[in-house]
Amino acid sequence: MNRSIRRLFWVLSGGFVLLACTLGYWQVIHASAIDNRPGNPQTIQRTLLVARGAILASDGSKLAVSVASNQQGQRVYQRTYPNGTFAPQTIGYANTVQGMTGLEDSQNGYLTGDYGAQSLLGSLGLRARRGANVTTTLDVAAQEIANRDLAGKQGAVIALDPRTGAVLVMASSPGFDLSQVDTNFRHIIAQPGGPLLNRTVQGRYPPGSTFKVVTATAALESGLFTPMSMFDDTGSVLASGQLLHNFNNEQFGPNNLTQALTFSINTTFAKVGLALGAQRLGQTMNAFGFGRAPSVDLPAGTVFVSGRVSGNTILSNTQSGEDVARIAIGQEQLLVTPLQMALVSGGIANHGLIMNPYLVQKITDSSGSVVFTHHTSVYSRATSPQIAAEVNTMMRDVVKEGTGTAAALSGLDVAGKTGTAQTSTNGLYDAWFIGFAPAQAPTVAVAVIVENSPLTGGVVSAPIAHDVMQSILAGGR
Amino acid sequence: MSPRTRELGFLIPAALVGVLGTASVASAQSRTLGSGAFTILGVVVGLFVLMHIALRLRTPFADPYLLPIVATITALGMVTLYRINPVLAREQVLWLGVATAVFILVLACLPDHHLFEQYRYLCGLAAVGLLMVTMIFGTNISGAKLWIRLPGGQSLQPSELTKILLVLFLAGYLRDKRELLAVPTRRIAGIALPPVAVLGPVVLLVGACLGVLGLLNDFGTPLLYFGVFIAMLYIASGRGSYVVASLTFLTVGAVAIWAVIPHVQTRVDAWLHPFADAQGQGYQIVQSLYALANAGLIGPGWGQGFLIGPNGNYVVPVLDTDFIFTAYAAELGFIGAMALLCLFIVLVARGLTIAAQAPDGYSKLLAAGLATTLGIQGFVIIGGIVRVIPLTGVTLPFMSYGGSSVVTNFAIIAMLLIISHRSRVPFRPRVPRAVRAEAQRQMESMGGVTSE
Repeated sequence: MNRSIRRLFWVLSGGFVLLACTLGYWQVIHASAIDNRPGNPQTIQRTLLVARGAILASDGSKLAVSVASNQQGQRVYQRTYPNGTFAPQTIGYANTVQGMTGLEDSQNGYLTGDYGAQSLLGSLGLRARRGANVTTTLDVAAQEIANRDLAGKQGAVIALDPRTGAVLVMASSPGFDLSQVDTNFRHIIAQPGGPLLNRTVQGRYPPGSTFKVVTATAALESGLFTPMSMFDDTGSVLASGQLLHNFNNEQFGPNNLTQALTFSINTTFAKVGLALGAQRLGQTMNAFGFGRAPSVDLPAGTVFVSGRVSGNTILSNTQSGEDVARIAIGQEQLLVTPLQMALVSGGIANHGLIMNPYLVQKITDSSGSVVFTHHTSVYSRATSPQIAAEVNTMMRDVVKEGTGTAAALSGLDVAGKTGTAQTSTNGLYDAWFIGFAPAQAPTVAVAVIVENSPLTGGVVSAPIAHDVMQSILAGGR
Repeated sequence: MSPRTRELGFLIPAALVGVLGTASVASAQSRTLGSGAFTILGVVVGLFVLMHIALRLRTPFADPYLLPIVATITALGMVTLYRINPVLAREQVLWLGVATAVFILVLACLPDHHLFEQYRYLCGLAAVGLLMVTMIFGTNISGAKLWIRLPGGQSLQPSELTKILLVLFLAGYLRDKRELLAVPTRRIAGIALPPVAVLGPVVLLVGACLGVLGLLNDFGTPLLYFGVFIAMLYIASGRGSYVVASLTFLTVGAVAIWAVIPHVQTRVDAWLHPFADAQGQGYQIVQSLYALANAGLIGPGWGQGFLIGPNGNYVVPVLDTDFIFTAYAAELGFIGAMALLCLFIVLVARGLTIAAQAPDGYSKLLAAGLATTLGIQGFVIIGGIVRVIPLTGVTLPFMSYGGSSVVTNFAIIAMLLIISHRSRVPFRPRVPRAVRAEAQRQMESMGGVTSE
């Protein structure tokens, strides 16, 4: 009988070993696959247990913070947005139902304390992780001004420090309130105009006449033209078999390249484009960063590429056989983000050098020590310092006496360029202004767009650029 | 060192598990370590000391490891219960008190377990009768009609007591027919079968139990009973062919039940494809797997897992009874769960050792049957949770909340300790002095030759 009892014990032991192996499969080997199943309340709860780091404006004011509360005897953290309408698309949300967007997504590793070398205790989960605080480059006063000026409109404002690439303003309208994402997401997405869209990096518009800055740069680079090169405007140019007119069918007569930029004469730039050809104009576009996109510290894939498009495909900028005359005036299958036009403006401002744009200035851990600092880097060499200086001078005339006078600031020179691109609706335009100030030693570069405006860029967008640049310069930059 | 002193020494770490566990829960839950937790702790320690004293008085030579193992599992169970539901923990202490009383009562009133051998048929009929009573007066709780409601609002689960009666019947019956069973009379498809006349009554009784339980919509308990039956049949006969025949019968029976009863089909579907209906039939098992996976290797620690939702409900249904193992493993992780599995297998090992050390066939069968009952019951519920077998609702011995379960299981431990004591007590015959002198005189007269 004892032999049978011994065998019975081995059978029962085998059963328990089977239990142990299966349990090991669920708890260790297959655990992450189960953790990642959608709707797993354990995973959702775990995110609430982490003291997520704060997102701060450049002056240290809180844009996103985690507040501790007690839930069934457990300390959990609730994400709150003290100023939820400040830059909702840029800051983004971290929500277990709707997912993550913006800086909340791209900086998630730092914000949840999952960065750098983990201590043994930390990697075993025995030491509570604490999130690091992300300090952004956003300028509170200027961002608020941009929000105020964009209120009721669809559009975007982006402002950079051209010397470093720091993004000072990233405003997209319509916006929403981040503190309503948890409770009222359905209502937010039902709003017209796509509030979740970050128009500064995801809105793609025809650049209109703001693109003439790129064409002018290409013209000077080619050696074929100088700012004083003379043209004669007869009101139209024949290009690709169709007549091309000036805005409002105006006729300017004799003009030089500087005057053509100042008054945005389409016929002159069409002629320049034809003389340059697709190859030379395309090379300058590449130098300005068209055809690729910087990350701006936002989640991968959320910054759209600017350039010549066919449907959803980005074409090569140097492709021949295109309607170069219309590309030169910012039409014809050319779509750009406000960010790209701010980089064009910033490149001219910074002596031909475009700096990598960024949003995250520094990251400090919970004990206050700095774990990350942004180091400035070059995004692209747009043109030579000499040519940048010449285009800079040409752009000052636009604000001094041309289409962009509404952007003028008292006591200093402002350089700029307006744009009024036709939309699919007759009589409604995408109204642009790009520019920088002070023109002699620029510290701020902007791009402003207002969608579907009955008025021109000089009337609608230049005043917004004025307000934003004034605020930034008043802030001591 | 005497077995009882050894036992007392091993009870200390069990008490420490309780103290550290309670402190761990209290600190994680930022509860004040108020009198409540310490009252529970103090009472539980006191109850085990009482059991220990009873053992000292009645069965001083019994196995010294059984009670400390049970005490450790009980400590883990009480801390887990206190963590998920302090009110139930307090109630469970009362049930533990009743269990202690029954434990001491069995030790005090049952000098010799052989008493049951002559009442084996009575035990068997009582088992069937008890289940019949449940069928008539039972109340339906969570799908199965297994409980009899008492006037005080409490409910009784007779199927727990039935499992002891069934083992008592099987031990007596199989001991009686052991020799006949060992000789198979016919073969079907090469499998040797025992004579029908010998096995008839036992198949009838066990079959009646299983049938009634099937009608009560419970499938965990029949699985337990059938497993115990096979184990005891094997020990009595020593014939593997009977096991094969029984398992074949079990498989055919299981498929037949699956084919006929829709409730069983949904259970099997939830077992094979829990995520296919994660909000419906698979909900329990899916939520349990989520909780287990979340714990990982080490687990977040007692009181720090996500077991209670914001509304105060359990995140995994029936966490305090069927899923107490999930509540435990979700916070102590794979390593903690391994420790618990080890405790269970050591418990079974001690029980089977007692069986092996027992001097007679009846004691062996009884001890092995009781120990196997605890082992299989643990396997059935944990196996259901980790999806080795379909989920069926039985309690995890010494862990789950529930009075009937804890009382019955402590009675089982008491009986095992009685058997152990009786086989280990040193043989000291009491012979009157006159008889001894006469024997001495006779041996001397035979020429000094003494036999052993």
